[in-house]
Amino acid sequence: MIEQAVDVRQSARPRRRARDRRWIRQLPAYIFLGAWSLFTLVTIGWVALASLKSNREVFREPWNLPTQLQFENYQRAWDSAKLGENFMNSVIIVGIAVLLILAISAPAAYVLARAKFRGRNLLTVIYIAGIGIPFPLLFIPLFAMLAGMNLTNSREGLILVYISLSIPFTVFILTGFFSTLPADLEDSAVIDGCNDFQVFRHVMLPLASPGILTAAIFNFIGLWNEFQLALIFIQDPVQRPLSLGLYSLKNSMTYTGDWAGLFAGVVLVMAPTILLFILLSERMISGITMGSVK
Amino acid sequence: MRISKQLIALFLLPASALYFFFFLVPTFSAFRYSLYDWRGFGTDMNFVGIQNYVELFSDRLFWLSMGNTVTILLAGGVIIFGLAFVMTMMISSGIRGRKLFRAIIFLPNVIAIIALTTLWGYIYTPQFGLLGAFLGKIGLTQWAAFPWLGPDTIFWSMLVAIIWIEVGFYLVLLLAGVDKIPEDFYEAARLDGASQFQMFRKITIPLLWDVLTIGMVLWSIHAIKIFEFPFSFTGLEPNVNSYTAAVYMYILGFGQRQPIYRLGYSTAIGVMLLLVVILVVLVLRRLMRREQLQY
Repeated sequence: MIEQAVDVRQSARPRRRARDRRWIRQLPAYIFLGAWSLFTLVTIGWVALASLKSNREVFREPWNLPTQLQFENYQRAWDSAKLGENFMNSVIIVGIAVLLILAISAPAAYVLARAKFRGRNLLTVIYIAGIGIPFPLLFIPLFAMLAGMNLTNSREGLILVYISLSIPFTVFILTGFFSTLPADLEDSAVIDGCNDFQVFRHVMLPLASPGILTAAIFNFIGLWNEFQLALIFIQDPVQRPLSLGLYSLKNSMTYTGDWAGLFAGVVLVMAPTILLFILLSERMISGITMGSVK
Repeated sequence: MRISKQLIALFLLPASALYFFFFLVPTFSAFRYSLYDWRGFGTDMNFVGIQNYVELFSDRLFWLSMGNTVTILLAGGVIIFGLAFVMTMMISSGIRGRKLFRAIIFLPNVIAIIALTTLWGYIYTPQFGLLGAFLGKIGLTQWAAFPWLGPDTIFWSMLVAIIWIEVGFYLVLLLAGVDKIPEDFYEAARLDGASQFQMFRKITIPLLWDVLTIGMVLWSIHAIKIFEFPFSFTGLEPNVNSYTAAVYMYILGFGQRQPIYRLGYSTAIGVMLLLVVILVVLVLRRLMRREQLQY
């Protein structure tokens, strides 16, 4: 018994030493990753705190906690700076755009991934090529086109642009999802008497729903944050999405000096996407790797 | 399963029509517009041939802004991939909290650039800003008032922020690639007495090659069109030293306080951007393919 116990202890000791050594070897990694993460959390957390301070405190004591929470900052940003209206515009524009992007891209991706027809590879390449075209190239030609259709300075026009320019990327990731689905499910559905549309609607589409959700999240975050196209196509403050509203608030800040109100605006812009990321980060991160790592 | 011709056509039509009319057509119009002198929407266009491109060659601001874009692409790219690589190795060395580190480092990628430029604008504000106040607090008072956003340093200040944003995306990409490498490969190498460095060189790098190539292509496409950060970093009139080609292009087309409306000339810069994308992607594919044959 005693001998056995000694034995166990002796064999445990080198293992523990190995664990100690491992921990020391990993120390630089902890320090580096820890410092980087801390910086990110502190700066973003700082904005959230500063959005609840008075302007005096923001300037005088940037590193102190707010003495009294100033929720008026949010009221100023939401009402006076009209970010409330802009927020609602973003909800409408992004919501409609994301739904239509998926409704249009999913069938196309399905066909590109699973149907056999001449020119399929060429068509796939043409779609993917869109990912490489820099948006700034399209600023002037698209503006001229939309002006001709009387669609500049309107939410409808911006939605149309968002849908069209999101198609290549969305088709690309959805094609990846559809092509991984097993073929025997299609076949057994056909045996059960489904026609090709029903196979898509009742078998493949539900199976691809994780992929469609991933595409929805990416498009939502991308379009919620989108700024350059909104800048080109919307001049009327009433039609502005939130990102553009924050930009104009940032510029007017040069005159008003209301940093606290501006930081409240920053929080309004970033809270929805951060919240979504906290809830769905695993799905998003695996979504990035889906398309690129095979 | 056979999918009927009618369904194929029906499913492809909406996406292809929108993509064709609102993406491909404007792309081709851009090539045409770049050959015109065009001074405002609704005014006449005068055909000038390659005159806009000739003018670009002697335009100091074009070279400055294109130089900045290329610096972001190359210097930024080297630093971003270097950091992402180091972080990937650190996170995959079996430390605790790998998912947490990965998520936090990725976090800036989900935040609107305009929110991040507001934040970084305040970080860099002399004296009162986060950095200035911090430096003042730890006693480096002469550094507290350093003009990070001054003409000489603004570009580098911006590059630091861009690196901070982008690293997380490439970290996620590389980490996924590393996760795909079977653990047996390392076991076998260890049994054969391979060193840590040898395993890195002979297993990790070759098996990560495809992911690395895709990552570099994505970064190039992204970096060449970079617009939002430099445009919104410093208020209504961006500092000339932080112009990227896309920002200069926008300003020539739409102007700032005073409209400029040199639409043809502006579009010529857009065409240059597309040509740079094509060139860089071709070079990358060539470079990465040749290297791969060594293994």
